[in-house]
Amino acid sequence: MTAAAGESAAPPGRLARVPWRAMAPLLVLAGLCLVLGLVAPNFATTGNFGRIATSAAVPAVLTIGATLVILMGGIDLSIEGAMAVAAVAAALVVVAVPGPWGAVAGAAAALATGAALGATSGLLHVGLRAPSFMITLGMWFIGLGLAIWLVGGGTVSVRDSELRSLALVRIGGLPLSVWVALGAVLLAWVVQSRTRFGRALYAIGGGEDLAVQSGVPVGRVKIMAFALAGLCYGLGAVLAVAQLGQGNAEIGEGRLFAAVSAAVVGGTSLLGGHGGVLHSLVGVIIVVVLSNGMILLGVPPYLQQAVQGLLIIIAVAVSLDRRGQGLVK
Amino acid sequence: MTIWQPARPGLLRRRTLLQGMAGFAALAATGRPARAQDMPTLVNSIRSLSNPYHATWNQGGEAFAAAIGAPYVTLVTEGDSEKGIADIRAILQSTGGNAVINVDPNDAPDARPIVEAAVAAGAHVLTQWNKPADLHPWDFNPNYVAHVSFDGVEYGGRTAQVLIDAIGGAGGIVALGGILSNTAAIDRRTGLDATLAANPNVQLLDFQVADWQSGKAFDTTSAWLTRFGPDIKAIWAANDDMAIGALEALRAEGLQGQIPITGIDGIQTAVEAVRAGEMAATVFWDPFWQGAMGLSIPYHARTGTFDPAAEPPEHREFYGAATVVTSENAEAFYNEHIAATPEMDFEDLWGRVSGQIRQS
Repeated sequence: MTAAAGESAAPPGRLARVPWRAMAPLLVLAGLCLVLGLVAPNFATTGNFGRIATSAAVPAVLTIGATLVILMGGIDLSIEGAMAVAAVAAALVVVAVPGPWGAVAGAAAALATGAALGATSGLLHVGLRAPSFMITLGMWFIGLGLAIWLVGGGTVSVRDSELRSLALVRIGGLPLSVWVALGAVLLAWVVQSRTRFGRALYAIGGGEDLAVQSGVPVGRVKIMAFALAGLCYGLGAVLAVAQLGQGNAEIGEGRLFAAVSAAVVGGTSLLGGHGGVLHSLVGVIIVVVLSNGMILLGVPPYLQQAVQGLLIIIAVAVSLDRRGQGLVK
Repeated sequence: MTIWQPARPGLLRRRTLLQGMAGFAALAATGRPARAQDMPTLVNSIRSLSNPYHATWNQGGEAFAAAIGAPYVTLVTEGDSEKGIADIRAILQSTGGNAVINVDPNDAPDARPIVEAAVAAGAHVLTQWNKPADLHPWDFNPNYVAHVSFDGVEYGGRTAQVLIDAIGGAGGIVALGGILSNTAAIDRRTGLDATLAANPNVQLLDFQVADWQSGKAFDTTSAWLTRFGPDIKAIWAANDDMAIGALEALRAEGLQGQIPITGIDGIQTAVEAVRAGEMAATVFWDPFWQGAMGLSIPYHARTGTFDPAAEPPEHREFYGAATVVTSENAEAFYNEHIAATPEMDFEDLWGRVSGQIRQS
């Protein structure tokens, strides 16, 4: 099995058909790039690929965080709230601490805030035995409320901070933020596929009752997964603050839908147990390439959202494994 | 400032909480609750205290209330029209109509029941931004004192003109719009289009919607750099957050300061960018003025300084004057409005009238 296919739990006996379905998102991406390359003259240029990578950095980090939770069959709606409070924390610390250490402290504050919020979601989800949907919906508004309270609804400007070198310093033609995001994806992939914790995520997503009976410490794994997801949102907030030069409560707006749809487009199942970090990365790139391509082609704004919706339906249709599904909800 | 109890406490816990919070915040800020028996209660009804625009609006109201020593109440709708109307009815009840109300109605149709309730109770009311086109202050003399708005068409056009002047009257520009169905977004774009029509040597290369968001504006501007490259001579944005997104997309490629950008709203980051020469202009509505003078005008009508019925139509339904912040006035503007609390002559009732509102 290839690396991408290896993320899917392959049912025995039908191996010949599995890689195609698992590879579907990659084929969609290749097809999309081919078409755009043919019709949009500037699409296939190093400059544009660099811009696509830059635009993909923040959504990639957010989506791999969400993927860890989705793999367990849960959902994390707290992305926008966690990002808002982490971004505001980063910006406030950067302003308060002078010099280069301000950037380090600001980034650390954002990561800690994100992880703490995620861990809280996990603890509440496990401790109260409440659906992750409702708990993280609550955490979304708590995060957003905290962010608004911290800055009184305003915007904290960090135009000249050293933190901005994440977006402005380039290595190999790409901003540091892209390398940081790639590093995070790689780390998440190692955690997901090479650790006991990673296997436990799939076990829980495949069937929680079975996982419990197999001795998987389900509660601990869940709390850890939510905390790691929160850490990713904190990192996403750091990259966004570095990119935009400001922190405010609105910085996360629209990011939840983008992250979850990218995960689904990449072939990570909302039912849990299927897909993974690399799938989600492919999904993010598909979504970013599509929105880049639509602007290159001059697609009218009111059509763009419809095209994105269509993409989600197509991607789900081709990558869904329908065997073993008795009931479609 | 009084902490005001809603009429139906058992049913309205969120309202109680929010008002309690607003009350404590104001108490903490002023240190003393103002009490005066004959003074009308001054009421600002706004969307929320969580955005900088309305938070500054509220500061303006507090400053005016402190200046005349009148009790002051902030009501927040939190985007809920029912709550906005019910809160105003309740305060009219509890003050017996001895109130001066400055309201930013949550939605245009809300203005009618609010005005009718205030007129019936004998309070004086001023509306801002939203009202139905057929609701006029002169039909409710003297209690419906005035309606104030700001002309999105004019300022969308004026920022476009700043850009066109900056590129010498010729070249290609791209534009970032707000949410398609939003009135402010439509008005500002109408102004842009009008200015473009008057400048045939300037081409609108593309118009995209970035939903008022900086992150989306960043991605759109990056893609534009691929599509149009050096043909982009200037970037127009319908608000400051999107202008900042565009600016940072340019900075990521080392192009900041080379392509002029304009926004609207006057947020701090944008004013700093104008000061640094990286943005060409932004527009400041001055919510402090809206919060203070929106109370001062009906207050002076109530105390007999002027008779609303005798005022001309352009004092009853008018566009307020906003400030276009450019490189020329950015430094002074920053020192006056961002670095310090603004000082205002509360007696200058008509100083910012810039024409009667167009009847549509």
